[in-house]
Amino acid sequence: MNKIAYIVVQLIIMLLIAPLVSGIIKKVKALSQKRKGPPVFQLYRDIYKLIKKDTVVSKTASWIFSVTPYINFVTALIAGLLVPVSLKLTPLNFGGDVIFIIYILALGRFFMTLSGVDTGSTFGGMGSSREMALSSLIEPTLLVSVFTVGLISKSLSVHNMMETLSSIGTNIFQPVYIMCFLALFIVILVETARIPVDDPATHLELTMVHEAMLLEYSGKNLALMEYGAALKQLVLITLLVNLFVPLDSLITFNNAFLALGVSILLYIAKVAIAAVFIAIAEINTVKLRLFSVPNLAAISFILSFLGFVQYFIVGGIHG
Amino acid sequence: MHSFNLQLLYFLILITFLSGAIVSLILSKNNRLGNIISNILYSIASLTGIITSIYFLLSDKTRIILLHINSNIPFLSFKLEMGKLSAYFILTLSILTLCVSIYSISYLSQYYGKRNTGGFNFLLGIFIVSLILVFSSGNMIVFLLAWEIMSLSSYFLVIFESELPATQKAGTIYLVMTHIATAFLTIAFLTIYAYSGSFDIANAAALIPTTVKNIIFICLVLGFGTKAGIIPLHIWLPYAHPAAPSNVSALMSGIMIKTSVFGLIQFVFVVLGGGYDWWGITLVILGSVSAVLGVAYAFMEIDIKRLLAYSSIENTGIILIGIGLSVYGYSRGNSILSSLALIAALIHLLNHSLFKGALFLGAGSVYYSTHSKNMEKLGGLIKKMPYTALFFLIACLSISSMPFFNGFISEWFTLQALFQSIGVSPQGFKLIAILAAAALALSGALAAACFVKTFGISFLGLPRSTEAQNSKEAPATMLIGSGILTLLCVVLGLFPKIALTLLNKLSYSVVHNSVVPDLKGFSSFVYYPIGLETNKISPMFILVAAIVLVGIVFCLFKLIGRGSKQRTYSTWDCGFRELNPRMQYSATGFSKPLRIIFRAIYRPSRELQTEEGTSPYYPKSMKYVVLTQSVFEKYLYIPLTHLFTSFSKKVRSSVQTGSVHTYLLYIFIAIIAMLIYYRFS
Repeated sequence: MNKIAYIVVQLIIMLLIAPLVSGIIKKVKALSQKRKGPPVFQLYRDIYKLIKKDTVVSKTASWIFSVTPYINFVTALIAGLLVPVSLKLTPLNFGGDVIFIIYILALGRFFMTLSGVDTGSTFGGMGSSREMALSSLIEPTLLVSVFTVGLISKSLSVHNMMETLSSIGTNIFQPVYIMCFLALFIVILVETARIPVDDPATHLELTMVHEAMLLEYSGKNLALMEYGAALKQLVLITLLVNLFVPLDSLITFNNAFLALGVSILLYIAKVAIAAVFIAIAEINTVKLRLFSVPNLAAISFILSFLGFVQYFIVGGIHG
Repeated sequence: MHSFNLQLLYFLILITFLSGAIVSLILSKNNRLGNIISNILYSIASLTGIITSIYFLLSDKTRIILLHINSNIPFLSFKLEMGKLSAYFILTLSILTLCVSIYSISYLSQYYGKRNTGGFNFLLGIFIVSLILVFSSGNMIVFLLAWEIMSLSSYFLVIFESELPATQKAGTIYLVMTHIATAFLTIAFLTIYAYSGSFDIANAAALIPTTVKNIIFICLVLGFGTKAGIIPLHIWLPYAHPAAPSNVSALMSGIMIKTSVFGLIQFVFVVLGGGYDWWGITLVILGSVSAVLGVAYAFMEIDIKRLLAYSSIENTGIILIGIGLSVYGYSRGNSILSSLALIAALIHLLNHSLFKGALFLGAGSVYYSTHSKNMEKLGGLIKKMPYTALFFLIACLSISSMPFFNGFISEWFTLQALFQSIGVSPQGFKLIAILAAAALALSGALAAACFVKTFGISFLGLPRSTEAQNSKEAPATMLIGSGILTLLCVVLGLFPKIALTLLNKLSYSVVHNSVVPDLKGFSSFVYYPIGLETNKISPMFILVAAIVLVGIVFCLFKLIGRGSKQRTYSTWDCGFRELNPRMQYSATGFSKPLRIIFRAIYRPSRELQTEEGTSPYYPKSMKYVVLTQSVFEKYLYIPLTHLFTSFSKKVRSSVQTGSVHTYLLYIFIAIIAMLIYYRFS
């Protein structure tokens, strides 16, 4: 029963909040430029409209092109199921650990990049090639940071990692967590195609990465791809905020429902703040040249590696 | 009674393979008949091999002696025995040979009347028998003999298309490298004999002093490492695999390079009794370097089979990380880590045979119908060869360690072993282990990039040549051969418990412990692997959840978007008149970002030749070549070869003068030296 409740809550929250994050980022960016900007809920409307529209499929494309949107969306959703939004619910403990989450997101990316090549358009190939190069560079950072947190909590299950980190109180300000936090923040910028790595707002061939792969998509397929990207973004943000900003241990209501409600509200607030931070990062940086991104990836790897070294080799204050 | 049966079955397998080989030789005038009969015999033998080895792996017997010819001269004693490890490797071999022989029935038909397929099948049979003998050798003499037969028969298989200069070069490099390997192994074996007084593959740890053990280990790493293709001893692999016919490449990459893993486990664990922690650390570092560099080089290739050859180097690296961790754990008395890592390595070994076999067979099917291995000439094959494409895609997903496929399971276990090792090891090793984990993550991501490129460029988009345009689906037997392998990839990906069950008793027999019984709550749907209590994956459960979710999303979208239609139209061509294949990204273009990012490794250079036409803006023809350098060849092997040849020349001119008088002088000096030696010793 608990598990069903967990699945339902998790699915609903993930699906409902995902498009909001993009909305908030866009709004903050617009405000900073003294524009009014689209409403925060614009992506919901876009997705709804796209579902109702006709779909055009390239005649060059094979079945890969048509199954990719579903695979991309569902892999992101599955990853979402495995990253608890709140610690107040018993999680699915047989699904998969953090390694599984990393690899299932990679499965979505695998098909997305294939679909980019599938239509035979130049842009698709370009997007796929760049996406694969960038994601390869960021993968070691992601693994080293989650391994570091995993070693501290002696488990690779996301739920256990979150529980451990929420029990250490103010020790969260130790260098290891700060470094891993920053490393993961850079990972999010790269993985979700944000400035300084990719500009989601333009379709300029010199800079496109993620959008280039979606060029041939339309209608329902495009809706799924956009929604999938939003979900993946939310999954990574959830991982970040629930690991490094653990507030659930502060909630001590006797009533389980009340506790769950407050914890979810807190979660939404955390995600919204994270979205504002991503927007601020976007506002204050320029898009890097494609071949300067490796430097950013190197910085993030060094951060995560130093975090590991600091804690496990030099030794830290144990929480 | 049981052991008798097993003995009988074992020799039946050998005899069936040999009779297949001989039939093929006898019928070499009638290509077609000889090919069919010998391959059917090989398939039957392989099936028997699968059954026998599974039976033995699950049985309680740890080892049985199959044949023992003892004589007073130790060099002439022969011993064949089957242990758990042998059975596991014979199982891997048999699965692969079953699929390869079914595949070969049609694949070889392209050579009928042009080449000696009878001789080819004969050599193939001998090659398989020699592999079985390597795996079941009970003493080092049999091991070395079988090893040499294996190397030589595979050499002749590599140079099957011997009139091509590239093939000859490949054959020569292979022959030289494989004999360097044999030389180091011979040194190691003779050293072991010198101290233990026996050629048996049995525990001799107590008889050999530490320093000598270390020297033996270095010889073993150099010898087996050359065969395994670990960097920097890998240079023969990217030449030999593309030169050989695809069915041979599948066997060479799928199982032959694994003989070195077999040898390493046999000699380090059984003969030398486990060794020291620095052995493990060395293997982990070598494995990590091979994993990253192997796949990095693979990504640059445009020849499918060269790409696959480099990717074999990567996978051997991953296996070596597991073996290294196992040796490390064993030497520190941590049998849980040792067992976990060994199981990770051995599952990856089986998985690699399956998907690499499928990939080489797929590449063979592509070659069969397009006569090209060059990706720049392929494209759009998914529409012409739908089944080949599907099988190839599944193999690509497996090798990129995507969830639900077998590659993920072994990658997951290897990462778990690394995770465990960081927890229990001292500071210095923690650093190595986390870097190995990072290397594994990088190589996994690069492998995904590499196989998106391979599948995307070869099978998707528009055909880049008329051959690709006119290609046809491969014949049924070829599809069955690669189909069985891909089916196994999916089955082992969803039900990893099958492989774990087979490895349970093996793990006990090698490292005296097994983590397999600690796996809890196994059923076909929910599956808890081990390691740390909470690190669990359940591919089958997630797959069911994913299918349900896809169903819901599909129905929901149909409901909301009812009335909307789907139509087919051409891809946007940027306003040019029609999309043509040359507008697509090429394989070279696809790898460009990483070529620039990792230019320190690749050292790329480009050549542009233009033939000017009437206007400089419209040249008549252009030729653009991108070259990447093999750093190891340039800075290690070529200088070494130069050094060696110049040394040989000096020896010839100064020592081996050709004059009888000088030779008489040498003999005289030798006799004097010997007399002095005996006087004082």
